[in-house]
Amino acid sequence: MGELLTRPLTWGSFLTFFLMAVVLLLIILFMVTYAIYAERKILGYMQSRIGPNRTGKFGLLQTPADVLKLLIKEDVIPEKADRPLFKLAPVIAFVPSFVVLATIPYSEHMYFADLDIGVLYYVALSGLTVIGIVLGGWASNNKYALIGGMRSAAQLVSYAIPLVISAVGVVLMSGTMNLRGIVEGQAGWFWNWNFIPQILAFVVFVISAIAELNRTPFDLPEAESELVAGYHVEYSGFRFAFFMLTEYVYMIAMSALITTLFFGGWHAPAPFLEFIPGFIWFLLKFCGVFFFIIWLRGTMPRIRIDQLMSLGWRVLLPLSLGNIFVTAIVMEIVKAING
Amino acid sequence: MQWIDNMLGFFGSGSNIMFLVFALLAIGGAVFMINFTKVVHMVISLAVTFISLAGIYILLQAEFVAVVQVLIYASAITILMIFGIVMTNHQEIEQPLARPLHQVLVVIGILAFFGIVFYSVQQAVFPDSTVEHAVNNTEKIGMQLFSQHVIPFELMSALLTVAFIGAIIIAKREEE
Repeated sequence: MGELLTRPLTWGSFLTFFLMAVVLLLIILFMVTYAIYAERKILGYMQSRIGPNRTGKFGLLQTPADVLKLLIKEDVIPEKADRPLFKLAPVIAFVPSFVVLATIPYSEHMYFADLDIGVLYYVALSGLTVIGIVLGGWASNNKYALIGGMRSAAQLVSYAIPLVISAVGVVLMSGTMNLRGIVEGQAGWFWNWNFIPQILAFVVFVISAIAELNRTPFDLPEAESELVAGYHVEYSGFRFAFFMLTEYVYMIAMSALITTLFFGGWHAPAPFLEFIPGFIWFLLKFCGVFFFIIWLRGTMPRIRIDQLMSLGWRVLLPLSLGNIFVTAIVMEIVKAING
Repeated sequence: MQWIDNMLGFFGSGSNIMFLVFALLAIGGAVFMINFTKVVHMVISLAVTFISLAGIYILLQAEFVAVVQVLIYASAITILMIFGIVMTNHQEIEQPLARPLHQVLVVIGILAFFGIVFYSVQQAVFPDSTVEHAVNNTEKIGMQLFSQHVIPFELMSALLTVAFIGAIIIAKREEE
């Protein structure tokens, strides 16, 4: 797959890329369907319930049935809404979430783009989703939706900063922003993975990532008890499905990014386990991170908006800045000792 | 015919077609920005222009500039503008002015301008030279920024910090 990217663009290679993107989209849709099922099932067991168990064997067809229901629902647009923007907002929110998946290396030979600026690419494009969310809140012409959209924008913008700055520590250690390069720098035993030498960056990154995903304990934009449902309160049918899809695709992308940056991507935890293909390792680590995010939802209460802001600006930002200094100093000392 | 050959040569390459798409989107976004009557719609069409410019940078193999364009212009500045518009009240809609004579004159002017530019571009001879694309230009920009241009870089960050602190102080004063 790598050499296809370096060749000049012809109609043939364009068609290949297009087909691959469609296949990836279908895989992602399938994954999102079962991610929702997994989340409901896991949350159910955590709360001593069974979770979905009626539709199909073990409730396996519950989410496909839900999606089908959403797709055939009546398409309601509020009378006072700004119609074109109301229709456009879910699309603006969804497209970046799918596009960022291109840069993630799933295994040694399976990647869609080999960008020198993988980390920046992810951050820059995921920032575009905020526009979709704010517009969705504004176009609905509903005060709860507007407040939800505003909160979401404030939260996403303030947590993007510690997210990027903590990733800089990893970039410093790897000497590259290419995600494949970062994974290759973590080969060998599991203590070479970045989450041990960069433990501070890892903690800051995971907290900011959960805030970026609007997940519990940071799910203020859609706090049901105070904002009804946040920015998508007026949405129904397949437009609502698009917003949910965005959220889950980002969850998948963020889990994959954490796996890539901190858990050694496709590498096995020990060299003698290398006989198991890299993709399986990637998938296992990915599922671990994904489970952790769901686990948090089953455990944590929601925090207040002022606590959210002061956590982001007063705690995470200084910590991530300090991490850069410490990393740079330690790297210089190590370089001086090794000559 | 010279110009037909030129046109066919232009459309033969995939990156030229992509350039055409991005250029049309950039210009279209700018035109719609002027023509829309609602302020939020204007911001969105401006964002389309920003993103298409990033696409053109990608075609020029300047990935770093492209990503920074998306990060700063397409997301940060657009969101800042949306915030500004949503927080203030902009319910009134601009009334489009109707002046038929002006429109006719503008169309004639545009056509004449297009003719002149098209003619001169077809006549011009561009010197052929091969320039090697910089590989990993993010690293090169970083090297330049932190070695040769380190003092301007530091001055810029000091300036931004001063502006940042100034904004906080002004906001504090209004609060009291």
